[in-house]
Amino acid sequence: MVAPPTAPPWRRITSLEVLCAVLVLALLAQGPLTQLLDIPAVRTGATVFVAVCVQAMPFLVLGVLVSALIAAFVSPLALRRVLPRTAAAAVPIAGVAGMALPGCECASVPVSRRLMQQGVPPAAALAFLLAAPAVNPVVLVATAVAFPGEPRMVLARFLGSMATALVMGWLWARFGQPEWIAARALRRPECPASRSAWVVFTDAARHDLVSSGGFLVLGGLTAAALNVVVPASWMASLTGQVVLGVVVMALLAVVLALCSEADAFVAASLTAVPLLPRLVFLVVGPAVDVKLVALQAGAFGRGFAGRFAPATFVVATGCAVLAGVLVLGGAR
Amino acid sequence: MRRETQNVLLVLLGGALCKIAWNGDYLRYVKPSLLPFLVCAAVVILALGVISIGRDVRADRSEHGHHEFGYHEFGHHDHVGRSPWLLMLPVLAIFLVAPPALGADTVSRSARAVAPQRSAFHYPPLPAGPAPALPMSEFVTRAVWDDAGSLNGRQVRLAGFIVHGAGGATYLSRLVMSCCAADVTPVTVRLESRTALWELPQDSWFQVRGQVVPGSARSGTHFTPTLTVSDLQPIRAPSEPYEF
Repeated sequence: MVAPPTAPPWRRITSLEVLCAVLVLALLAQGPLTQLLDIPAVRTGATVFVAVCVQAMPFLVLGVLVSALIAAFVSPLALRRVLPRTAAAAVPIAGVAGMALPGCECASVPVSRRLMQQGVPPAAALAFLLAAPAVNPVVLVATAVAFPGEPRMVLARFLGSMATALVMGWLWARFGQPEWIAARALRRPECPASRSAWVVFTDAARHDLVSSGGFLVLGGLTAAALNVVVPASWMASLTGQVVLGVVVMALLAVVLALCSEADAFVAASLTAVPLLPRLVFLVVGPAVDVKLVALQAGAFGRGFAGRFAPATFVVATGCAVLAGVLVLGGAR
Repeated sequence: MRRETQNVLLVLLGGALCKIAWNGDYLRYVKPSLLPFLVCAAVVILALGVISIGRDVRADRSEHGHHEFGYHEFGHHDHVGRSPWLLMLPVLAIFLVAPPALGADTVSRSARAVAPQRSAFHYPPLPAGPAPALPMSEFVTRAVWDDAGSLNGRQVRLAGFIVHGAGGATYLSRLVMSCCAADVTPVTVRLESRTALWELPQDSWFQVRGQVVPGSARSGTHFTPTLTVSDLQPIRAPSEPYEF
């Protein structure tokens, strides 16, 4: 490799050298780092952090691969032919399509961003983003298994989550501004004709994995910290309290950032809490939690996440309460 | 961040996942059934890193500055910002620290136990034999729900770790996982013994032989049954630390 003639006499420090330095420093500091684990709270937090990352990584990889397949093999033209012309009409189709991606929320973020890049209206891609982790068969079966005595819980969860996805999609179609989504999110990777589909596929997957992996780690870090900090006595104080229960369970769904395939079991174990707040927990969790907000901020920009997440929180809570009252017949 | 650095990070991350899948440490964090998916994810991440490194090397060699594959649109800088640096954290945590399985700290952090879910209305009789080994969660469920009293008058063996609670009580505990270590819930049994239990170190694993105190798992005791201990053996922490 020949250095260009204009290169300065010293080489700039690149990220590769920084990486090596960090690795060497970490190796040298291994002793003190391990001693940190003597503090019980740090030990618990570290385990939860690694657990969230390890649990989510396979699903993120699945999402990244699906997204790369779309990039390499599904042309924007084909997508446009399948979807209705208006965004409002495309929203329900995207919501139903969410049933086909059997993953949790980490998988759906890269896929929905790719759909936007390929020309799918953002409203429809966002409906897919919210529907996929909540209404897919794996999650619904897990919910049925977790609530053996309450089959209506499955229907209520399905309706609440689907309604959340559709309402948010239509809200975006009506009020959403394109500039809220960071420009880099929508820029299609340039595709010279010389690039084979395989190169496009691997490069898209690599790029998505690197960019969303970091945000997944950020989400895992937040979830672990909150897991240690939030007092569990919150839940114990909810016996028989419906309104307070709805608010606290909705907030807990956000801060705990559980996988949508696991949250039903956690909700089922909170036997002291009435059913309606537990349904709110199941509908809000897959739609908005700290891990997901971090992933969204990474994929679509902070301006987007700052508007989308609070709106989703309100809509999801409302839809869950409505579905609960209709299907479960009240708070119970 | 340069492409090269990103690729190295991917290789490190894939390597870290391979490591915990290979040496069984993944059981501290997730369910055993996740193993195939974990291995697939590790292989895909490793492969993406290695393929990209190989492609960069070939592109550099083929002719410097000639952008054969067309992915050098932004020079060596991919526009992903600084977030990929965070990928270092799980890599370092796994390779350097390897956080242990959750234990007594999680139990004392959890809310007071609520009644375990009623999983069946008729419980089969306990297995025959002098002192059958039971999962902790099954023991507690039977103690709370079984009206037929299948536990009463029977010696059983339980395996778990020691938790010292407020007021000098000592508990044997186990964590029940549904998906990953972020969602564990504890099951606990209060130990009652003539010997001094408070000397047992917190978080140490024991196999306990004993008999349930009938009617001890009520709402007044937060559905924590009491076990009269007849024998206590230290054991090694199991490779599968959680119940499911």
